[in-house]
Amino acid sequence: MNPVLYARISADYPNRPGVLEDVEFAIGRGEILGLVGESGSGKSTIAMTLLRLIESKGGKARGELLFQDRNLLALPGRKMRRVRGREIGLVLQSPLSALNPSLRIGAQILEAWRAHRQGSPDLLQLLEMVNLPPEPGFLNRYPRQLSVGQAQRVLIAMAVIHRPALLIADEPTSALDVVTQAEILRLFSSLNRQMGTSILYISHDLLSVASFCHRIAILQQGRIVEANTTAEIFRNPQHPYTQALLAAIPKPPNCLETTTDCPSLAWSETINQAVDDGQYRAKDSLVCASRS
Amino acid sequence: MKAIPAILLALLLIVSLVHGGSYSSQHRESIDAPPSWRFPLGTDDLGRDRFVRLLDATRISVLFAGAAAFAATLLASLAGGIAGYTGGWFDHMVVRTIDVLLSLPSLFLLLVTRALMPLNISPVLSLLVTYALMAAMGWLSPARVIRAGVRSFFDSEYVLQARAEGCSEARILVRHILPNLRPILLAQFWTSVPVFILTEASLGFLGLSAGEPFPTWGSLLHELQNPLMARPEAFAPIVAIALCVCCFKRITPWRVSQI
Repeated sequence: MNPVLYARISADYPNRPGVLEDVEFAIGRGEILGLVGESGSGKSTIAMTLLRLIESKGGKARGELLFQDRNLLALPGRKMRRVRGREIGLVLQSPLSALNPSLRIGAQILEAWRAHRQGSPDLLQLLEMVNLPPEPGFLNRYPRQLSVGQAQRVLIAMAVIHRPALLIADEPTSALDVVTQAEILRLFSSLNRQMGTSILYISHDLLSVASFCHRIAILQQGRIVEANTTAEIFRNPQHPYTQALLAAIPKPPNCLETTTDCPSLAWSETINQAVDDGQYRAKDSLVCASRS
Repeated sequence: MKAIPAILLALLLIVSLVHGGSYSSQHRESIDAPPSWRFPLGTDDLGRDRFVRLLDATRISVLFAGAAAFAATLLASLAGGIAGYTGGWFDHMVVRTIDVLLSLPSLFLLLVTRALMPLNISPVLSLLVTYALMAAMGWLSPARVIRAGVRSFFDSEYVLQARAEGCSEARILVRHILPNLRPILLAQFWTSVPVFILTEASLGFLGLSAGEPFPTWGSLLHELQNPLMARPEAFAPIVAIALCVCCFKRITPWRVSQI
């Protein structure tokens, strides 16, 4: 089966050429691909390049970007605009600054809808889908009246409003506390199962990526140095950088002898389960771990 | 307490709209008269009722300063908005032009331009020219503020988000930039009005505002060319100006915090 997206891209900014060098990856239908890398490795540039938003920042993308049998890099601007939001959704990193401070939540969500369609969708049902209170009062709020976690859910609602084939999440949980983070990860996972949306999940946190991604690609200095299934990455890391990332996962020294009450121990079990039986059980235990 | 200047100014404006006196009619029998029931602020050396002239000056000064502030803000938002939006060479050009114009002494420019006008232009025209000149010079600093605002909005995450949603540029401008620009535009407008009122007062004191017999706050001050010899009631326009500027200075932070 054809992948939803196949990318072999390079990207340059005027003052920083070679931000991405021949980065090659594919995302299958219904697959969650985790993209892990340190700050400055080009993670966000990948998100910007896939939507060709890099152009509005003065950058330029080269290479091949096949999305549902079209080369996005060759599309005229007007057609590319029809792809953004409708076929590829984006969730940004800092939820509160990604929402327009002077627009009410309802108006904001409607904007996302009207960018491509007439009329209005069932907003309350949409709120329910992302576990927000399905009340008209919520839609009347301004972004400053939301918590960060709620704002992130609003952004996710806006990103999936057109049921895109691909959802790109650019470090969507880095501004959140651990509990909210686990809830958001669970939300991504359930959206993936319910709507069959493929997800490109970009993060610097290998552990959270491992908790729910099917495959992981490791990015270092604008190149993908290793890509494999989650289990293989953990069982058999090839590249020194991957090994360093794994070694950097904190190990709890004084909880090892106690029982599973210890959250940190459950965290380390998360890794084991990811290795042993795939992501879903691992995800659940991650949620338990954060809640306990 | 806070509302007192505003109430006084509103009273002055209302009375100026309904009173029946004429700013140009002369009372030859009582020239340079002291304050009385008939003439609360006395008469000037041409026998004109100072109080009636002050009322009409209030209406004219506030109205024209408001209009000039509106024109200046409009100019500023066009120049600053387009420069901030397009960026590139146009932006560069606008910024440089504003920098150069702002580095010239503005009062000097105003005086020279106004003084170069022929002396025999009609009073209405002189009034219009005075305020048009102020608007033509008053848009510079607001334009800089607006340009900076527009730039930062276009670099913001929520505009990136809107682009990622597939919003068109026109939609981004109308739905995302303008609502955020509104408080900036209002602030520029409300701060420009008192600046123009004060500038007109300075010009008028030097006799370069509206021509006779038109009363503006500035032209009424012309009577004070020799302040030591003037009657105390002739200082009334200064009180009105201070009152009005006070009101507008109050409005600005209040209006902006409302949004």
